[in-house]
Amino acid sequence: MEAVQGNTSFNKNKRLLLNLIAGFISRKRAIRIFLFLSLVLWCIGFSFNSLFSGTVAAGITYPFLKKIFHMVCHQLDEKTFNINGAKLFVCARCTGIYLGALASSIASLFYIKRFSLRLKLLYISMVPMLIDVAATTFKIYDYSKMLAFTTGLFFGSVVFIYILIAIENNFMDDSY
Amino acid sequence: MSQNKYLPPLVCGFGAAVLTIVPGIKSFSCCMIVPLAGVLSIYLDHKINKTSLPVGIKSAIWFGFITGIFATLFATSLDVLLTYLAHTNDFVQALPQTEAVVRHYKLNAMLDQTMSMLKQMSNDITINGFSAFYTAGILFSNFIINTIFGILGGILGMTFINKRTKVQN
Repeated sequence: MEAVQGNTSFNKNKRLLLNLIAGFISRKRAIRIFLFLSLVLWCIGFSFNSLFSGTVAAGITYPFLKKIFHMVCHQLDEKTFNINGAKLFVCARCTGIYLGALASSIASLFYIKRFSLRLKLLYISMVPMLIDVAATTFKIYDYSKMLAFTTGLFFGSVVFIYILIAIENNFMDDSY
Repeated sequence: MSQNKYLPPLVCGFGAAVLTIVPGIKSFSCCMIVPLAGVLSIYLDHKINKTSLPVGIKSAIWFGFITGIFATLFATSLDVLLTYLAHTNDFVQALPQTEAVVRHYKLNAMLDQTMSMLKQMSNDITINGFSAFYTAGILFSNFIINTIFGILGGILGMTFINKRTKVQN
């Protein structure tokens, strides 16, 4: 009997706590915070070696992080930024994409209205990146880290908004 | 769920895995391969079923996830197969460079432990063409990365299809 009462009280407290959190954070904002935190983690991951250069943690995690990020990037030395005396685990273009997405996620935390974009913008954001990839592949001009970074930044910031729109339109609550 | 539902993720996952293994393609497509496979997978399913209904998020996540799983399984299998045939891979080739970087940190005992583990994996690959620890490692990291990127691709594919469906209607 006591156990049942304890359980009911626990559930009541849990519900109260959840309602309290829900009062502060709507579902939409929770999604945005989750995406922002995930991107922060991801960005710390690929720049871990540079951020914590010279530390024991950077030394131990180096081989494993390098292998993990090798799954998503070619990691060519000549196409990668060298920060704080250490190479990032992803190339300049990927760095741009992820930082662009992170910048958009930060903006989405403050700009709380629902985004609405036409698909055309996604295609437009791809164009500079595709032109740069094609031009460097066919040796029309030499690879530039800054150009790759910039085109990636533009694409990453736009693509994040599309993903956010898609998620929010489907997990929507209008309690904003 | 019909068998047809697994066909697009299977085909796209296989395609993504093959493209991930080919070094030249990876140098300019980077992290785009698996998300594109996710987009293509959901698009193909939509085409196969000849439906004009919008795609739901659950379905998009599911397709992206399954594409990621298939990409993981095929990419790991191809990597293991190529490693077995060649008795070497990019991990073994990059180990001296990795060691040089890690030695730069002056970790002493920790360095020895880390390096002995990596060297054991490298030796297993060079001698037997297979390392269980290496295989488990790439299977795990492939699973995490590919499923996340596959899901992102699925969500993007859903946006793309739903916008087109809206325009057509």
